[in-house]
Amino acid sequence: MEKIISLTKTDFNVTFGLSSMAYNFKNKKNRWQIIVFGLAMLSILPSYFLLVKSLDAIYDIYSQIGQRPMFLLSGFLMAQITVFVFGILYVMSKYYFSNDLVQLVPLPIKPSHILGSKFATLMISEYLTSLPVILPFIFIYGIKGGEGIIYWIYSLLLVATLPVIPLVLSSILVMFFMKYTNIGRKKDLIRTLSAVLFVVLLVYVQFKINSMAQKALLQGDDFLANLVRDSNLLVKNLGLGFPPSMWASLSLSNYLNMTGLLYLLIFVGVGILSFMAMMLLSEGLFFDGLIGNIEGSASKGKTRRRLSIRDSTRQTKPYLALAKKEIIMLFKTPIYLFNSIGGVIIVPIIMVMSAVSGGGGDMDSIARLLETKPEFVALAGIGFITVMGMLNSVGATTFSREGKNLWIQRVLPIKTRDQIIGRILSSVAIQVLGLAALLVALAFVMKLEISMIVLIVVLGLLGSVPMTQLGMVVDIIRPLLTWTNPQQAMKQNLNVLFGMGLGILYAGGIGLLIFNLIGRIDISFVFVVLAGIFVVSTIVLYYVLEKLIVKQFEVLE
Amino acid sequence: MLQLNSISKSYNKGAIKAVDNISLDIRSGEIFGFLGPNGAGKTTTIKMIVGLLKPDSGDITIGGVNVWEEPLKAKSMISYVPDSPEIYDRLKGIGYLNFIADMYGISKDKREEKIEYYLDMFDIKDAMGDIIGSYSRGMKQKLVLTGALINEPELFILDEPMVGLDPKSSFNLKETMRQMRDGGKTIFFSTHILEVAEKFCDRIAIINEGKIVTVGTMDELRSHAKERETLENIFLELTE
Repeated sequence: MEKIISLTKTDFNVTFGLSSMAYNFKNKKNRWQIIVFGLAMLSILPSYFLLVKSLDAIYDIYSQIGQRPMFLLSGFLMAQITVFVFGILYVMSKYYFSNDLVQLVPLPIKPSHILGSKFATLMISEYLTSLPVILPFIFIYGIKGGEGIIYWIYSLLLVATLPVIPLVLSSILVMFFMKYTNIGRKKDLIRTLSAVLFVVLLVYVQFKINSMAQKALLQGDDFLANLVRDSNLLVKNLGLGFPPSMWASLSLSNYLNMTGLLYLLIFVGVGILSFMAMMLLSEGLFFDGLIGNIEGSASKGKTRRRLSIRDSTRQTKPYLALAKKEIIMLFKTPIYLFNSIGGVIIVPIIMVMSAVSGGGGDMDSIARLLETKPEFVALAGIGFITVMGMLNSVGATTFSREGKNLWIQRVLPIKTRDQIIGRILSSVAIQVLGLAALLVALAFVMKLEISMIVLIVVLGLLGSVPMTQLGMVVDIIRPLLTWTNPQQAMKQNLNVLFGMGLGILYAGGIGLLIFNLIGRIDISFVFVVLAGIFVVSTIVLYYVLEKLIVKQFEVLE
Repeated sequence: MLQLNSISKSYNKGAIKAVDNISLDIRSGEIFGFLGPNGAGKTTTIKMIVGLLKPDSGDITIGGVNVWEEPLKAKSMISYVPDSPEIYDRLKGIGYLNFIADMYGISKDKREEKIEYYLDMFDIKDAMGDIIGSYSRGMKQKLVLTGALINEPELFILDEPMVGLDPKSSFNLKETMRQMRDGGKTIFFSTHILEVAEKFCDRIAIINEGKIVTVGTMDELRSHAKERETLENIFLELTE
């Protein structure tokens, strides 16, 4: 136990940079940065409050049809599925790709000890993911329903243990996955592709189950009568997709009687049991998936293949060489591959899939919209690709990803212009993949006109450029260069969050403008205005970046 | 070729003076050794020369070009090999060399010739198709050296270049540095290996606690010290 506690303490410290944060705060030079970042995080709050307000309205709807627990179920389902999906990413990088493993594995400690300490750190990361999702549901239900003290005590217990079951599930899945894919030279690529496929499949199955349950529920003749009789009816039917969420919501909705306590005990008990099962399994699984990775990164070129220098040297323009280097690094680092590239491919597929499996209603409305106003679909597509320009995280982590290698960029005679163009190109290249995924997914759902494709491609890519630049601005001001695990450079990099905040403001502003222009001026002129805004922002941000890069490359230490 | 004019650098708001008012004038066509105990300010000085650290005061010129006023022009004249070879682990060896050559704008023919030559010399040609993450420390060091040499720099700056190299590569590197010197190029390097400095450098500077304690040829250094037998004696006497 002492070993787990000691390991966990060290892991916490390294993961969340507690010591370096304390050092930075003592060192007055960096103190203002932490304060400015605190304020920047606050700037994201308004959009969060808007989301919470809309939840409030949803609560009222469930309340009107007498199915209040359904509101809780939505919250728990959403939070636990988020924990699970993020869990797969976190677990893979934390258990298998972090740099401390080389030091930990030779120590006389059991695999389950290493895993236990890493699990504890992941729980904290997962609270950061799950609390913003579940808390509004708990508070809206509790306050609007005027629930008593036991409700709040139960909530505390449930929220505290919420990430356990999904995180255990993702841990076990990843452990099996890593054990049986620990093969061959291209294992990183194989693993990432299978993980992407797996997530897509999972979401598809989830949507399918929900839509089937909805249909089955609605088809019954006595549906409305049952709805009135049993306020837990919807939860019991729709919660079958993921029972722990159902237990949690039934525990809270029945907190006044024994049923509530029973479900609470089931929820917490299954959590503890599943954690123990994971620890047991890890003894047999963990090292099998891991050893190959360490071997792979420490082999001394055993798999050498002779190559001809003549055939493999060619001169490339500096900005293209820089873009190429960025793209190779993105593709060859599993964490980057999954987060940026996997993300831009998965998200459009999931969106379209949810429309398809969500039943006929959505399809009809899309088809109708397409018949009357195809330009709106183009606008939505452009907006989507533009926003992905920030979500792909390529711009907001471009300097951070250099990490300890940044010296190379600073010592070489690279023009600032090449730095900017090369890095933008790498993001645009990733965007092209997202664009292709979106268009292919859309083509399954609707007939795409050539003009619409051209508009989405040209304006979507044009819009991605200022988004990438906004991310780059954030990242050059405060690059995170001292990471030990590439996950820290991308997933745990606050620059991504801050960039998203700026991106939402920028895209939201443009969205609002376009919304106001539609109907007042000809739609084709709207596209011209949009192109104009993108081009002007690109030029302005180019000059901002030029100044910042020159300044920061001088002072970074 | 390289001039340091009264440069200083301190950390923690002046609490630690890493480099304290150093001036050096390194001529074209010489091999200059930079010696000093751990933490004396060698790496800080080198980082200021190559543009990785900005001096608090003073200026640095390379071939008459101010490093901080015209950085691109200055950087295109130099190559730098750091003390620890942190390079892109996920790139293949050949990918790294092509990248470096692209940044210096080196033509295909020239880079092909140089890459062939240095890879043969350091005996790492067979590893060029592998990712750098699979290399040993010494192999990474050789790759960084190759990358630094393909651009034929006017000023070659190396921080502890012999660390991690096998005896044969170390010998080859010294031979290359001599050839460069004979061709009129300048080499500035720091080292802990006094024997290398003694036998190999045209001039030597010893730095201690951020200050230059002596600079000159071996003969000049001997004339300044009481214990004149070896550089080791001189070093120990001056850095006590």
